[in-house]
Amino acid sequence: MFMILLVSLVGALLMPLFARMIGRGAGLVIALLPLGLLVAFIELAELVERGWVLGQGRRWAPSLGLDLTLRLDGFSFLFCLLITGIGALVIIYAGAYLTDKSRVERSRFFLLILLFMTAMLGTVLAENLLVLLIFWEATSIISFLLIGFDSRSARSRRAALMALQVTAFGGLMLLAGVLMIGHVLGTYSMAVAIDRADALAASPFGGPIVACILIAAFTKSAQFPFHFWLPNAMQAPTPASAYLHSATMVKLGIYLLARFEPVFAATSWGRATVITIACITMLVAAAQALRAESFKSALAYSTIASLGILTLLVGLDGPAATVAMVGFLLSHALYKAALFFCAGSVLHATGMQRLRPKSGLARVLPLTAVASVGASLSMAGIPPFLGFISKEFLFEAQLESSWEIAPLAAAVIVNAVMVGVAGVVTLRPFFLGRGEGSGERPIVRHGESFSLVVPPLMLALAGLIISLEPDWITRAVLRPAVAAVYRAPVNVDIAVWHGLTPMLLLSAVVVTIGALIVRFWHPIHVRLRTMDRFDTLAVERLWEETLRGLVRGSTALTEVLQHGDLRRYLLLVAIGIAGLGAWSVGNLGLFPRLPTDDPLRIAPAMVALVGLAGALAATRAASLLGAMIATGLTGFATALTFMMNGAPDLALTQFAVEVLLVVLLTALLLAVPLATAPTRTPLMRRTDAVVACGIGALLFCGIVDMAANPQASPASDFYGRASYLAAKGHNVVNVILVDFRAFDTLGETTVIAIAAVLARSLLMTRGGDVPAGRSQPVHFSFLMSGRALSWLLFAASLVILWRGHDQPGGGFVGGLVAALAFALLALAYGVDWAQRALRVNPLTLVGTGMLLALVSGLPGVAAGRPYLSHLWWEPGGWLPKLGTTMIFDLGVYLVVLGAVLTFLFGLQREAAR
Amino acid sequence: MTALYAFVGAAIVACALFMILSRNLVRVLLGLSLLATGANLLLSLVGNVRSEQPPIIADGQQTLGTAADPLAQALVLTAIVIGFALTVVLAVLVLRAWRAEHTVDSRQVDSAEALGPPQERDPTNV
Repeated sequence: MFMILLVSLVGALLMPLFARMIGRGAGLVIALLPLGLLVAFIELAELVERGWVLGQGRRWAPSLGLDLTLRLDGFSFLFCLLITGIGALVIIYAGAYLTDKSRVERSRFFLLILLFMTAMLGTVLAENLLVLLIFWEATSIISFLLIGFDSRSARSRRAALMALQVTAFGGLMLLAGVLMIGHVLGTYSMAVAIDRADALAASPFGGPIVACILIAAFTKSAQFPFHFWLPNAMQAPTPASAYLHSATMVKLGIYLLARFEPVFAATSWGRATVITIACITMLVAAAQALRAESFKSALAYSTIASLGILTLLVGLDGPAATVAMVGFLLSHALYKAALFFCAGSVLHATGMQRLRPKSGLARVLPLTAVASVGASLSMAGIPPFLGFISKEFLFEAQLESSWEIAPLAAAVIVNAVMVGVAGVVTLRPFFLGRGEGSGERPIVRHGESFSLVVPPLMLALAGLIISLEPDWITRAVLRPAVAAVYRAPVNVDIAVWHGLTPMLLLSAVVVTIGALIVRFWHPIHVRLRTMDRFDTLAVERLWEETLRGLVRGSTALTEVLQHGDLRRYLLLVAIGIAGLGAWSVGNLGLFPRLPTDDPLRIAPAMVALVGLAGALAATRAASLLGAMIATGLTGFATALTFMMNGAPDLALTQFAVEVLLVVLLTALLLAVPLATAPTRTPLMRRTDAVVACGIGALLFCGIVDMAANPQASPASDFYGRASYLAAKGHNVVNVILVDFRAFDTLGETTVIAIAAVLARSLLMTRGGDVPAGRSQPVHFSFLMSGRALSWLLFAASLVILWRGHDQPGGGFVGGLVAALAFALLALAYGVDWAQRALRVNPLTLVGTGMLLALVSGLPGVAAGRPYLSHLWWEPGGWLPKLGTTMIFDLGVYLVVLGAVLTFLFGLQREAAR
Repeated sequence: MTALYAFVGAAIVACALFMILSRNLVRVLLGLSLLATGANLLLSLVGNVRSEQPPIIADGQQTLGTAADPLAQALVLTAIVIGFALTVVLAVLVLRAWRAEHTVDSRQVDSAEALGPPQERDPTNV
C-alpha cells in the first residue's frame, strides 16, 4: 500500500507534464495512472474477499504517537475502487472538457486532480488517526484550489473560500476529537479506538469526542447546517464537481461516521442526533433541488439529499442498514458522476446552464442522452438498475430498524424528489421540446467526442451490469465492506426481484409520486421560487454575516489598539516596565541596602552633577540644537566619569562616539526645523514626567542595592587570571572582546555592518550624485590645521589599534578615531573631497573588515580547536608577538571605520540636498 | 559616591524617557542616545567593584590584581558602539521621514495610513 500511495504521489507530480506536451488526448494518457492503481487494488481483491485486513506500518514520530500505519479492509477497498475507477474516467473526461483552457491551466488541473486522488486514497487507507487527519485536510485544501480553479472569477473565489472555511472548521474539530481520543486511550490507532468504543464514550471526554467527530463528518458531507458550501462548490470545473463534490470527497464524512459508528452509538444521544440531522438535511435539500434553476445546482442539492440518506443509514441500527448504506454508496457514486458528466457535456456544447428551457438535444448529443437516461433510471430506482436494488435495501433497513415512522416518511419524500429530479434533468434538456420552434433553442457549438461520451456511458452501463451480474462485486467488494463496517459477516443478496414485499410497494409509491413531480415540475418549481422564505432561512447568509461581523469587530479592535500614536504606545510600555520594576523592587523589601564605607569624592561628584545638569537641560531645551548640545554634555561627563573610575577603554570610546555624534547629528539638524511647536500639552508633559521619574526612582533603588552588595563574578575572576597566560594580552577588556568572547564581538560587528548597509540603501541618492563642483568656503583655522590634524588622528588610530591588546585601545576605538580624521576633512573641505581622499567606497571597507574578522577564526579551526580560537606566534628577541587576534581586531577596525563613514557621507550628502 | 552615581544615572535615564515620550522625532532620537548613556553608566557602576584601577595586567605580572570588573567594561564598550550605530540609523530614518513627509511630528507621519485599511484593497476578499 505504501508503494501504491508513493506511485500515486510521484505520478501526480509527473504525469501532468504530458498535458503540456500533448494537446487533446492528454487525458487518455494521464488516465493510465489511476487505471494502473485500480488494477493494483483489484490484485488485492483476493485478500479482501477472505475478510482479511492488510496492514502496513512505519515508525514516524513515536514520541508523538504518530506512526505511518495503513490498513486495507473491505470498506477501504470499496472506496479505493471508486476513487481510482471514477478518477480515471474523470481524467479522460477532463481531457476533452478543458479544451478551451491553455495547456498550462490543463496541466494544473490534472496535477490537482491527481494530488486529490492521492490524498483521498491516503485518507481511506490511514489507520493512525493523525495520518488520517493529515490526508483529510489535504483533501479540503485541494478542494479549495479546484473550486477556485477559475481564479479570475469573483464567484469562484467566494465559493472556494466558503468551502475551505467550512471544511477546515470541520478539520479543526476532527483534530480536537482525535487529540482527545489520543488523550483518553494513549494511542491514535483507529482500530483501538473502535474496539474500545465503550470506554471512549464513558470517559469524561466522551461527549466532546462524539460531538467533534459528528461536526467534522457533517461539514465534509455537507449536512445541515453546514450544507450550503456544496451548491456553491459547483463553481469548480464540471469534472472536479463530478469527482470531488459528488462521487468521492463528500463521502469522506460518511466514511468517518461509519467507522466511528460504535463510538457514537455508545452514547445515549449519538444515533438520535445523526438521524435527526440526516432527516432535516434530506428535506431541506429536496425542497432546494426542486427550486434549483440550473443543472448543476439541481444535481448538487440532490447530492446533499443522497448524503442525508447515507447519514441516515449510518445512524440506523441493524445489519440491513449497513448493507443499504454500502449499496447506496456504490450506486450513487456511479449514477451521480454520470449525470454530472452529462450535464457538463450539455454545458460545454451549448453554454446553457438553466433547466427551464426545453432544448431537445437528444438529436445532437445522442450518446450523452443515452447515458443520461441510464443514470437517471438508476437514480430514480427503476428496475433493473442498481439504484432500484439500493432503494429496496434502504426501505428494508428502515422497516427493520427500531426507529419510528418519521425517517421512513422523510426517505419516501426524498426518494420521490430524486425520481423527479432524475426525470427533469434527463427529459427537459434532451427529449422535450423537439421539433418545437421555440426561440430558446440553444446554439450547439460542437457534437460529441470519444472522451466526452465514454465516461458517462461506462458509468451508466456499470449501474446496469452490476445489478444483472452481481456475483464478483458482491463477493469481492460489497460483502467485505459490509462486514468491515458492521464488524460481523452479513449475508448480502443482490437480486432485482425479491418477490412481492413491503419494499416493492414503497418503491411503487415513490415512483408514482416522482412521476407526478416530473409532470408538474414547472408549476412546482415556479411556486417554490416565489417563496423567498428559503433565502431568509438560509444558513449561508448567517455564515456570511458572521464572517463579516468578525472582520468588522477585528477592525474596530485594531483601531483601538493600533491607534497610531507613538507616544501612547511608548507610555503604555513605560508604565508596563514601571509596574514590573515596582513588583520586583517590592519583592526586595522596598528599602535598598545602602553602601557603607564609601566616601564622597569631590571632583568625580562634580563631573557627575555636570552630566545630570546636561540631561536636565536637554529635556527643557526649546531648540533641538540646544537639546543636542546638552545631550553631548552628558556624554562627555559620562566619558570623564569612566576615566576616573578605572575604565580608560570606555572613556576613549565614549569620547570618540560623542564627537562623531555631534558631527553626524549636526548634519541632520541642518535639514530639519530646529524650533517647532510643542507636541505635548502641559498635562501630557506632567504625566510623562511622573512616569519617567517613577521609573528613575525604581532604577535608583535597584542599582544602589546591587552596587552596594557586589558579588565577585567568577567569570571576571577567570578572565583576570587567564588573560595573559592563555591569550597573551595585558588589557583584559580587549582580550575579552577579541579572544574570550570573540564570537559575541563578531555578532556585534555584524550588526554594525548591517546598519551601514541599511543606512547606505536608505540614503541612496536618486538621479545621480550631487554636483561635485560646488565650492565650499573653508574656514581658515581648518585650512591651517585640518590636513595635519587629520593625519595625526589617523596615525593615532593605528597606534590605538596596535597597542590595544596590552594598553587601552583596540579595534572599536581605533575605528572611531580614524573616522574622526575623515569627519574633520569632510567638515573642512566638503564630503566629496573627503570621499576622494578615502579612495575606496566605505562599504568596501565594511566588507573587507567582515571578511578579515570571519577569516581570522579559521587558523584556530585548522589547528583542531574551536572556531575563533586565536593562535599566537612569539618569535622572541626584538620582534613583536603576532597573533590572529590582530587580524580580528583589524577587521573590527575596518568595519567600524567603514560604517561610520557610510553614515557620515550619506547623512551629510542627504542633508545638503 | 555609589549612591550619587546611581542617582545621576537613574536621573539621566528618567530625563531620557521624558524625551522619548515626546512626539518630535528628533527629540525621541536624542532621548534614545541619552538613554544609552545613562544605561551604560549604570551598567559600569554595577560592575565596578569600587576600584579606580583599570583592568590592565601590570608589566611583569601574570594575573590581574585588584581592579575594576573587566567583563562589565567589555559589555559596556560594545554597548556604546551599538548604541551609537542605533542612534545614527535612527537619524537616517528621521532624515528620510523629513524628506518624504516634511514633518518631524510622529502624528503627521501618516502617508501609509492614508492608503486605507488593507482589507479594502485586497483583491481576493470579495
